[in-house]
Amino acid sequence: MEFLRAASVDEALAAARDGAAFVAGGTNLVPDVLFGRKKISRAVDISRLDELRYIEEADGKIRIGALATVTDLLDSDLIRTAASPLHESALEFAGPLVRNRASVAGNLMDASPAADLAPPLLAQDAIVELVSVEGERALPLSEFFLDYRKTAVRPEELVTAIVIDPLGAEDRCAYYKLQLRRAMAIAVVGVAVVLRMNRGVCAEAVIGLGAVAAIPYRAHAAEAHLRGKEIGEVEIESAAAAAADSAQPIDDVRASASYRRKMCGVLVRRMLRKAMGMPQTVAV
Amino acid sequence: MNTYEINMRVNEKDETLDVQGDETLLRALRRIGYVEVKLSCEGGDCGACAILLDGVAVNACLMFAAQADGSEVTTVRGIGTEDDLHPVQEQLIEKGGVQCGFCTPGVVVSAKALLDENAAPSREDIQRGLAGNLCRCTGYKKIFEAVSAAARQMREGDDS
Ligand SMILES: Cc1cc2nc3c(=O)[nH]c(=O)nc-3n(C[C@H](O)[C@H](O)[C@H](O)COP(=O)(O)OP(=O)(O)OC[C@H]3O[C@@H](n4cnc5c(N)ncnc54)[C@H](O)[C@@H]3O)c2cc1C
Ligand code: FES
Ligand code: FES
Repeated sequence: MEFLRAASVDEALAAARDGAAFVAGGTNLVPDVLFGRKKISRAVDISRLDELRYIEEADGKIRIGALATVTDLLDSDLIRTAASPLHESALEFAGPLVRNRASVAGNLMDASPAADLAPPLLAQDAIVELVSVEGERALPLSEFFLDYRKTAVRPEELVTAIVIDPLGAEDRCAYYKLQLRRAMAIAVVGVAVVLRMNRGVCAEAVIGLGAVAAIPYRAHAAEAHLRGKEIGEVEIESAAAAAADSAQPIDDVRASASYRRKMCGVLVRRMLRKAMGMPQTVAV
Repeated sequence: MNTYEINMRVNEKDETLDVQGDETLLRALRRIGYVEVKLSCEGGDCGACAILLDGVAVNACLMFAAQADGSEVTTVRGIGTEDDLHPVQEQLIEKGGVQCGFCTPGVVVSAKALLDENAAPSREDIQRGLAGNLCRCTGYKKIFEAVSAAARQMREGDDS
């Protein structure tokens, strides 16, 4: 395997051909190569491209550079206040050693069904910005994941930034990662809900789900029960049932498919109640 | 073969070495003698390979050695020596936080990184700070006590 440290984005793009792969933190790619799960001809190291490592507010949006690490998310006041589900997901992500290297773009590009950052980013309408020698394009995260570990990104394309809509003072949100222990665990179910409120009415509802299908996705059918409504018991129960219905989980070592489906409904209910400041139906 | 010459400063000593493109930093460090960095899972799960890379605690098994070209690496031996132990090392001995010792180099690295950022960590802060380090022997309790005691010792500036 060849190794090339890119000194600039242009150099990285020029080298991204003929079976090459970008390497950022390396937390997925390095063991994948070591254990033969991935064969690549060349690793194009982008980890020193500091111009891709930032978190900033611009034109009413939050821009997260591709190389921002999960630790950067945790340390950011902007993320804590205006993207709290993402902040909570960073807290539940692996342990500090991995978080210090793991990049936001790498988490999305690895396209694990259980990628922890995907549900909260989906819930804040993330747009993924891409560049290649052919030019730039932007892709909504909801159209990014195509199938199990398959994205709409072409091999020669580089993710440069992820752009999200900040939460406003009226907006409601909640996040939960169901896991078998409190650190270093792959999600059994991940749920992020964001409710954009306007004078007591839910103007927009977005629910991001992880680990309950081949890809992280938005529960559109569940969202439809909330959008345009004053949210109460009925709306929440309908949304929770629709979310559970939408799940297409698998059995694995962590949980059975039927448990995942059930917990998907339970957690969507709990997170909607939490977001709305309603008491839980059972103690949580 | 794709071989690359890289430079690192390891525990304040300049090292120049040839690495393969796909060689991990962990394997390269051990190959040139830094065997205090432990090799176990090579998948990021155990933390035995933890080092400070430019002052940040990371798993040496999760990066290519060539990615560390130009970096400063600190291993457990760079944190404290036998004659001049770091408070974390001192307290691990004091409180019985070492049994087989295999996890200890990584635990010391993570604990030092934690205490550099947080001089008065709660029990939960310590648990979260060491979440990436597996220990099969101690049950963690004595490790957590040692880190607490080291924090206290460092706050009091007591080197005795
Ligand atoms: C022990 C351990 C624990 C983990 N725990 C969690 C966890 O709790 N939650 C979780 O979600 N994940 C977890 N992961 C997975 C992993 O750490 C994350 O997915 C991480 O965010 C990947 O980022 P990276 O920078 O290390 O990616 P890399 O390994 O560098 O790259 C991953 C993939 O993305 C591509 N890529 C990287 N950056 C770009 C870019 N800018 N543009 C285009 N392609 C790019 C690479 O080519 C590669 O295919 C864990 C991994 C390990 C080893
Ligand atoms: S050997 Fe690196 S984490 Fe286990
Ligand atoms: S002392 Fe044996 S693994 Fe920790």
